[in-house]
Amino acid sequence: MADVSVVSPAWAPAAALLVLGGAWGAAALDGVLSGRSTGLPGRASSRRPVDEVARLMRQRRRTTVRADGLLWRVGGAAMLVAALLMVVVVPLGSWAVADLAVGVVWFNTMDVVVWAAVWLAGWGANSAHSLVGGYRFLAQALAYELPLMFALTAPPVAAGSLRVADIAAAQDGLWFAVWMPVAFGVYCIGVVAFSVWGPFAPAAGADIAGGVLAELSGVDRLLVLVGRYALLVAGAAFAVPMFLGGGSGPLLPAWTWVLVKTALLAAALVAVRRRVPAVRPDRFVEAGWVVLLPLVLLQVLVVAVIAVGRG
Amino acid sequence: MDVRARLTSAAVRAAHVLVVEAPGGWRERFAAERAAAARGWTPAASPADADVLVVCGAPGDDLAALLDRVWDQLPGPRARAQVRSPTGAGQALAEAAALLADERHQRRDARERRQEPAPLHGDMDHGGMDHGDTDHGDMDHGGTDHGGMDHGDMAPAGIPLASGGPDRDGLEMDVLHLSLGPVLPSWPAGLVLDVALQGDVVVSAEARHVGGPTAEGHHGLEPPERAAYRVDGVARLLDLAGWPDAASRARRTRDVLLDGDSATGHRLLVGLRSRVGRSRLLRWQLRGLGPPGRPDVHDRLLRALARAVDDLGRDAGDPGDGTSEDGGAGPDGLASATVGLELAAVRLVVAAADLDRLPTRREVVGG
Repeated sequence: MADVSVVSPAWAPAAALLVLGGAWGAAALDGVLSGRSTGLPGRASSRRPVDEVARLMRQRRRTTVRADGLLWRVGGAAMLVAALLMVVVVPLGSWAVADLAVGVVWFNTMDVVVWAAVWLAGWGANSAHSLVGGYRFLAQALAYELPLMFALTAPPVAAGSLRVADIAAAQDGLWFAVWMPVAFGVYCIGVVAFSVWGPFAPAAGADIAGGVLAELSGVDRLLVLVGRYALLVAGAAFAVPMFLGGGSGPLLPAWTWVLVKTALLAAALVAVRRRVPAVRPDRFVEAGWVVLLPLVLLQVLVVAVIAVGRG
Repeated sequence: MDVRARLTSAAVRAAHVLVVEAPGGWRERFAAERAAAARGWTPAASPADADVLVVCGAPGDDLAALLDRVWDQLPGPRARAQVRSPTGAGQALAEAAALLADERHQRRDARERRQEPAPLHGDMDHGGMDHGDTDHGDMDHGGTDHGGMDHGDMAPAGIPLASGGPDRDGLEMDVLHLSLGPVLPSWPAGLVLDVALQGDVVVSAEARHVGGPTAEGHHGLEPPERAAYRVDGVARLLDLAGWPDAASRARRTRDVLLDGDSATGHRLLVGLRSRVGRSRLLRWQLRGLGPPGRPDVHDRLLRALARAVDDLGRDAGDPGDGTSEDGGAGPDGLASATVGLELAAVRLVVAAADLDRLPTRREVVGG
């Protein structure tokens, strides 16, 4: 059993601040990268998140005729809430906010909560494009969720535990990302997809006027945008104990390594958006079921055989 | 500078702009998009996302009436700008920025604007942007009470409920009527496509035009301008394909070409062409879209880039001959080409058809 000391719940806001800080960094990085292609000077594009927050805080909220106000607002807020709940099981070095025996299942539950969140955000506005965005997300979720679930089972099988700290400790010497690359790759696809980000953002696509974002303004929009970045960061943070050796690393203390690895992976996921076009859900479903799912099942099989062989 | 003023200027720096092109106003749109990018402003995807509404060219009365409804949908603080000539774009946006930063003006605007959606007239074709008629909400004033608008159960808030109809599998499914355009980013100017949707699949479509004559006199364009026009079409298609990075690069290429810098423009264009051509993911997404037996969206995209290179008088390989295959078919051909497609594919097919509106260089030279 790996040692993790559960910190007092009073530290939970600190964890939330870390996630929000990460979301801020991700937004700033995206601003700089997009500034490079639009020709905006570096300084102006790195302060982009500040300006954008100021803009959205100043903008008025709006509603639509016969909107389902309650569900709409719940959906908008739930993405951020899910992201914050995801990170409670991620150990920061030797501290964790929660040390669940089924930490991996907890994470998986939270990523399913995102289904409801995005769909409700699309449904609530009572607007055709929003609704199409919501349905698009469900179609996309059908494609990524099962491969993601199986990718999440590979590390627990190898470690013989669903406890996140045990999984991190089981990677002594060899990261799971190295000997189960398919599971890691599929996991990353899943993170980008449940964050409605980059190639997996058709639910908020330009072709449907912003989809689930189409009717949102002001602080409601801000909440959804922050939630998206927070999900990306939470997904990157959870990958660290699952695939990237947790806090192990030379010289620096364990908690620093967790932060460094999270930042690097999150940066890579942010950068993906610049490189590739969107993957439409109708085509992604095919790839998800015909390619990703068999591949990741094979990966789990290989991992299971090795785990049994090692005794 | 106090905190409030600093926040205001930060907010104005990050403004999102909804650029609307009246038929024939493409030069003004190019200039407005460029001026907005130079300010660091972001294109808005919908009225809810927009702080500034920029109207390019001269909208006819019908389009102007629609624009007033779109204006009602901007959450505010908001500013409206009119770009009547390409050279006036910078000035128009500067005035909009000043208006947006003017707290007193914005407060007065918020007080005086309509607090309720404008009454509907019973028909379905004056939808603002893209939401059919489902969205004329203004600001959130502590509730969603539009009780006064209630016309009974069959038409809550004056909006008829979706009716049923057999779908392509012979099952009964709700039919929703939606107007695409004319105020929709990356959408041909003045085009309105009245579609009936089942889910997000178009079951019938009818095209019409608003906002004045559509003859735009493309035939007299100088080569760099022609190339710029094509590259702009490419940028819009790339935006719809969800690749904003490549779209931004295409727009920069367009602006360089408009400046008449053919050498740099050519270099950027070739870079863009090879980047777009190399993307396997893009090919996978666009292949096979469009009417069978015709070039698909991916073919048209690459062909438009080849033709743009050809416009500059350089060897582009085979840019293809023939002109506007779909343009020749007219709006009705376009409408029928969208039936049976889902919304994303409709947008791509319409944008790809728009790519073919310019004749090739050989035609221009030969004819």
